[in-house]
Amino acid sequence: MTNRILLFLAAILPLAAAAQPASTSPMPEPPADMRPDTLRRAYLARMHEVLRWYSDSIKPDDPATFGTGAIVAKLALREDAGVVSARVVEIMSGQQSGDMFWMFPWTAVSYLGRDQLTPEAKAAIRSAWRTYFPQRGDTENHWVMYYASLFLMAELHPEDAADSWFNGKSSAENRAEAKEFLLHWMDLGTTIGQGEFNPTHYIGEYAIPMLYLATWAQDPEMRQRGHMKLDWLMADLAANTLDGVLRGPNARTDDTSVVQRWLALSSYFSWQMFGNTPPPPGYGGWGIFFAVVADNYVLPEVIHRIAADRDEPFLQRDLKRTRRRWRYSDELMPLVYKTNYLTRDYAVGSTQGGMITDPIQAHVWDVTWSVPDPRGVHNTIYSLHPLSSGKVMQMYFTELPDHMIEALASQGKPSYGVPDTILGSSPYEQVFQDLDAVIALYNIPEGADFPRVNGFFSKDLAEVTIDDSGWIFARGGEAFLAYRPLAPYEWQPRLGYRQLSSKSGYKWDRVNLGEKGDKLLVSPHLKNGTIVQAASADEFADFAAFQSAIRALPLEFSLEPVPSVKFTTLRGKSVAFTYGETPAVDGVAVDYNKWKLFEGPHLNAERGSRNLTITHGRLERVLDFNTLTITDRVLPE
Amino acid sequence: MTFHPGRIILSLLAACPIAVCAASHDLYLAASINASSRVMGARGEALDGIYARGPDNTYGHVGHHLPLLITLAFDPRDSTRVYGAGLSGVMRSADGGVTWRLVTGWQETEPKALALDAVNPDTVYAGLPDGFIVSDDCGETWERREAGLPERGKYTQTLQVDRTRAGRVFAGCETGIYLTEDGARSWGRVFETVDTVNDIQQSPHDPAHWIAVSQSAGALESRDSGLTWARLPQVPSEKALYSVAFDPKQRGRTAIAGWTLGIITSEDDGRTWTERNIGLPPLHRVWRTAVDPDDGRLYAAVYDNALYASSDFGRTWKAIGMEASVIRNFIFVPRAR
Repeated sequence: MTNRILLFLAAILPLAAAAQPASTSPMPEPPADMRPDTLRRAYLARMHEVLRWYSDSIKPDDPATFGTGAIVAKLALREDAGVVSARVVEIMSGQQSGDMFWMFPWTAVSYLGRDQLTPEAKAAIRSAWRTYFPQRGDTENHWVMYYASLFLMAELHPEDAADSWFNGKSSAENRAEAKEFLLHWMDLGTTIGQGEFNPTHYIGEYAIPMLYLATWAQDPEMRQRGHMKLDWLMADLAANTLDGVLRGPNARTDDTSVVQRWLALSSYFSWQMFGNTPPPPGYGGWGIFFAVVADNYVLPEVIHRIAADRDEPFLQRDLKRTRRRWRYSDELMPLVYKTNYLTRDYAVGSTQGGMITDPIQAHVWDVTWSVPDPRGVHNTIYSLHPLSSGKVMQMYFTELPDHMIEALASQGKPSYGVPDTILGSSPYEQVFQDLDAVIALYNIPEGADFPRVNGFFSKDLAEVTIDDSGWIFARGGEAFLAYRPLAPYEWQPRLGYRQLSSKSGYKWDRVNLGEKGDKLLVSPHLKNGTIVQAASADEFADFAAFQSAIRALPLEFSLEPVPSVKFTTLRGKSVAFTYGETPAVDGVAVDYNKWKLFEGPHLNAERGSRNLTITHGRLERVLDFNTLTITDRVLPE
Repeated sequence: MTFHPGRIILSLLAACPIAVCAASHDLYLAASINASSRVMGARGEALDGIYARGPDNTYGHVGHHLPLLITLAFDPRDSTRVYGAGLSGVMRSADGGVTWRLVTGWQETEPKALALDAVNPDTVYAGLPDGFIVSDDCGETWERREAGLPERGKYTQTLQVDRTRAGRVFAGCETGIYLTEDGARSWGRVFETVDTVNDIQQSPHDPAHWIAVSQSAGALESRDSGLTWARLPQVPSEKALYSVAFDPKQRGRTAIAGWTLGIITSEDDGRTWTERNIGLPPLHRVWRTAVDPDDGRLYAAVYDNALYASSDFGRTWKAIGMEASVIRNFIFVPRAR
């Protein structure tokens, strides 16, 4: 969530940061030497860059530059323990806030400082865990941060009585409750799929607590589980990135990352793990909290190779799930069927749409393309129905109906409830993808707040050509793109958001960048649809040849009574898709009941199995949560 | 300013104004300050949670900063024993809300409603987003009691115990009003809705008289102890209604609050209703209303604005503090005599 990232950045970023070599320097060269010791040296060098940057950014006369990020950096570098201790005491003497976002940084300080902090500093931290009452929150990532931190702090103070903790539970009670939840959460993810899946930012909120468990848990089961779940998260990241940038649908993203795909915390993790993209500014705000113990994690070579290898296109299908739906739904956590197709030049990803994986920040489908340097580039094309619904918000939040939409802008989410939004999902959109072709159909009811479909057309597209056939052709990097709106449309400039100064919540202004900005294809029709077909430029003699090939593809569609498409893709598949019906490929209906937890050349897991097989070439790692074992093999030739 | 409930009572005895000393109830608010622009985990200086009315009619914060505290329930035998429904679960305090123990675990979250059985206060009821839990031992242990509630559709926004009969509880859920007569061991639906029932109250003058308000079904009334319910036709139902309050001092006076409605009142036992928003801020987004059992003052908690009070049952209003607050509940606690 952008606002949360910003809040966190404001809290931990030194005000006048030292230079950030990796963030601002030329694009990193992906490692050519894949020997483990070479990769490890580069990994540790990246880790040290983060630590050094934070530590060097402290200004002695400016306490604001000496926040928790700098404190953990100093402790990890084992520098200036006395100064750090004094700063800890100073911070702890004030009012605490931040809930679970407070908990995990101070857990890190507590562990890193075990043999460095003064008794006074340790006592100040310990006292705060009694006097400050952090809340558990209302999302899955909140709970993982809360309970992983609570588990570790209870282990650090194993005999402490109930009245020494904010929640009035003893260390033993807290430890037991935290472990029970974390096991439950891992069980969900390893049987029916992860909630808040493939998030552009929230990956940190899962990866950091898992690393902390893997590093500091005394309970060997939790240490092993933390390690295995971190492998699981990194494998999922590796299989869904192109050039280190996370691709395809996201359970949660934000207005910035949905178009500038690189600008996300996930890119810090790609940089840290794979070294194949620059980290975002400030290492995404939270990178420091991973970096401080990153040397306790060894990225499996098989995962690194999955991230690095895009020589052959591959299709990965995963099962995920929505957030908890408290009301107005027949299911607590409906399943999400996710598809991602990645090539060297582009990626096409989607979920089935027609549902809300997250009420505000879901991203259902897109086609993105590879670029030499992703910084500042909006390398994506997609469409959506801009939904605004208090009742949908109530599905996920235990709130009264009227205030939520209005409050979102001041909470850092300016585009919800705005007709030209390019973020979010809608129950009136259904999507089907076959390899690198996507069909999105819209059946928007009369009376919907926003009776329109928004298509995002990036400033970074080249050779945008509106063809008499109804197709719109464009070039994104080395990808050729064909976009077919199924109803009349008009072009509008896409207005950006500029944050204004405010002492009470976020305030925003809209910005029109004119010809330099992105464009929206606005189609104000309730029965609607979009088809996108992508291909690599090197598949065709030239752009004109691609256009000719697309024009020649058989396409029939109708919009009444509901949108319906029959389309033969560039790959020769005959796709029939009618809104409200199961899509069919070459006459065979898609059987979602057979959808596996993971299925593809690199990640495979049966539904309900608690067992993930990670494969690249002959390398294999099996994460078995039934036996809590990790098994590495080199498969026979 | 941070208050301690014990100090409040001492100072009341020592030097409070006569008008306040005449009060026989303490007033606590479950409230947040500057909450509308705050997201989970935000940093800030705000103190949310319990606010207690002091001797000078100002409100002071008690205990921990507790964002999204929904309501409190005081043990009638010992008002220092308090239960709270908050974001992290049900909490219990033995010192008037200064320190707490979370008495529920990870499987129970975000309780929206909480009450003690009026006849047997060892029994605690809590409404959850996914159902209903009960403790028969002052919150030490809890069990789900949902027989008769639907598998889906049991989101519980409010609950109200019948003060006259042990084990008789109404739950305002996503799919209607549900009634148990046996301490939640079995439930039956007494009124069906398609959206959430937001508040249910029992008349202090006639225990058979109940009013509920809802998100889309308007205001509902029962004159037969909640067995049957009917719409109050004069109360608008186009927009969500949030809160209903009977006047304990004067029979026949009732107030209803809502986001767009503001405040409407009836002084003829519900036959006619009048909008009472003059003097409230222009948008009069009222989250909660209450009537002071000591002096009949009508309160309106205006969202993200302030607490307003009216001494003439809504004809005129005056802001009385709690600026920039969101007040989720008023809790009047009889003082020990």
